[in-house]
Amino acid sequence: MMQALKNAGSAKPMRRLAALSAAVAVLALAGCDDNGGDPRTQIGANPVLPKLQQYLMPPIRIAKVVGWGSETPTVAQGLQVHALATGFEHPRSLYVLPNGDVLVIESNGPKAPIYRPKDIITGWVQWFAGAKAKDANRITLLRDTNGDGVPKLRTVFLDHLNSPFGVALVGHDLYVADTDAIVRYPYQDGQTSITAPGTKLTDLPGGPIDHHWTKTLLASADGSKLYVGVGSNSNIGENGIGAEYERAAIWEVDRASGAHRIYASGVRNPTGLQWEPETGKLWAIANERDEIGPDLVPDYLTSVQDGGFYGWPYSYYGQHLDPRIVPQRPDLVASAIVPDYALSSHVAPLGLAMYTGNELPANYRGGAFVGEHGSWDRTPLNGYKVVFVPFSGGKPSGPAQDVVTGFLDADNHARGRPVGLAVDKAGALLIADDVGNTVWRVSSAHPGSSPKPGT
Amino acid sequence: MKHATITEAGFIDHASLRSTAKPRGRPIHKMLVSFSAAYFTGALVTDLVYWQMPDVVWERFSIWLITAGLIMAGLAVIAYVIDLLSGRQIDRPALPRAVGYLLAVLIALFNAFVHSRDGYTAVVPTGLMLSALVVAVLILTAWVASALANRHRVGA
Repeated sequence: MMQALKNAGSAKPMRRLAALSAAVAVLALAGCDDNGGDPRTQIGANPVLPKLQQYLMPPIRIAKVVGWGSETPTVAQGLQVHALATGFEHPRSLYVLPNGDVLVIESNGPKAPIYRPKDIITGWVQWFAGAKAKDANRITLLRDTNGDGVPKLRTVFLDHLNSPFGVALVGHDLYVADTDAIVRYPYQDGQTSITAPGTKLTDLPGGPIDHHWTKTLLASADGSKLYVGVGSNSNIGENGIGAEYERAAIWEVDRASGAHRIYASGVRNPTGLQWEPETGKLWAIANERDEIGPDLVPDYLTSVQDGGFYGWPYSYYGQHLDPRIVPQRPDLVASAIVPDYALSSHVAPLGLAMYTGNELPANYRGGAFVGEHGSWDRTPLNGYKVVFVPFSGGKPSGPAQDVVTGFLDADNHARGRPVGLAVDKAGALLIADDVGNTVWRVSSAHPGSSPKPGT
Repeated sequence: MKHATITEAGFIDHASLRSTAKPRGRPIHKMLVSFSAAYFTGALVTDLVYWQMPDVVWERFSIWLITAGLIMAGLAVIAYVIDLLSGRQIDRPALPRAVGYLLAVLIALFNAFVHSRDGYTAVVPTGLMLSALVVAVLILTAWVASALANRHRVGA
């Protein structure tokens, strides 16, 4: 009798436990990730936006770094590529001075603080993806004296910077956007090294978190204003909304006084700013949010409207609400602008160059090159290439074309990853490769065959 | 509760004859289990606070508390296995207690992943529900185990 009672007594909770186990198992299944769809459905003005998912274990899919060896990137027909220079330390962005000297900004982010156990894991993942290289904090100058695309001089142009990214020259004032300030240096034509101390123009949002640390820089045509891309301090507000003060925005800084205003906001990480050559309007590339699916949210290329709000963190692509942000801001969401051109999800555009040169074939004139650093949280991998977005009438006019590929090998290992872009004095496209530690130069395969206006 | 205490005291007297690795007469794994239960309960409290006042600091408390609870649980399992392998007599009724505890730890593990999401949905609603479920399973397990222990003592 006692034995029977005992069995009955324990059977009930055991059954309850079994039901709970089943519930947990269902939860686990719900957390399984699926593969991303065809990125081509997310390129252009009207990307397909699937339903938002949330993960138990966010997908991580990084490309193992193997380096280039004797390989070079693959270029589209009519183009050729060679390494302008190698042996850099994490080159992130490029700037071409009026005399043709190329500045290579070698930089990496400041050390991220650990607020959650997840931050420890993220650190390991970044190390594995080759993103934990030492921060060189340096700008190297390359000079090609005879225009054959081979630099004859290589000097340290500026050293001891603080995670620099953007550079802009106005007259004899050279501005460097460190992660926490814009600093002005005196520059004389032909100078190969600056030793004079810099003068701070303005502070920029920096540490201690500094999640998106790159500050891109662009001077207005008349030189009176500087535009600065300031990325968000989190993926989606997980460091608190207070940490996002004046971030996820494009600043307009007055060059004379250093005063700034928010030119546009709600742009999660604006990493490249350029003037569209036909209309003179400001355009930007932006990295959108993670962890809500392999096809959410597409990164984008967009014109930037004065006073415009582009959604982050409350919504994406207009009024698609993000449930991870509470309290919401319906007033802001109502005004959220849909970006002009989606580049597909998680490609991580980090370099933008509007092409106005004459070296490359004529079909590239007036369009935009975008350096896609490549995904780390999507299967299959996306990005890891430089694409070209044709423009017409000041607007993108067709699907993005692959221009420089081969950053991944056949096994999906990373030989390199493209970051910043620039166009050199001759009109060739320069690509910083922060994993291959190389600067690539893409020029016409048949020099002189493209029409040169005025000749 | 009195019965349970007596049961344990009796057990200790008996078992201590064969074991020396037992500080103050209490198996280490039981102490570690208590630690983890306290951490998991703490996480429920900080989750409730976050739900009412979504400041990220409470979400960070929660995930660290859950992580600490899981580390303690891992150590408890190791200590328990050592106890088993060394042939020591384990508290009766061992099975429901072990199953209930392992279930709670498993849910807490899922909860750690949910709490590692970014933003509000790291806690509300799934994380908060899982934190409550962990505590509920722990209480239920303790209650069942103690009820069975009493019956066992009476029936024996």
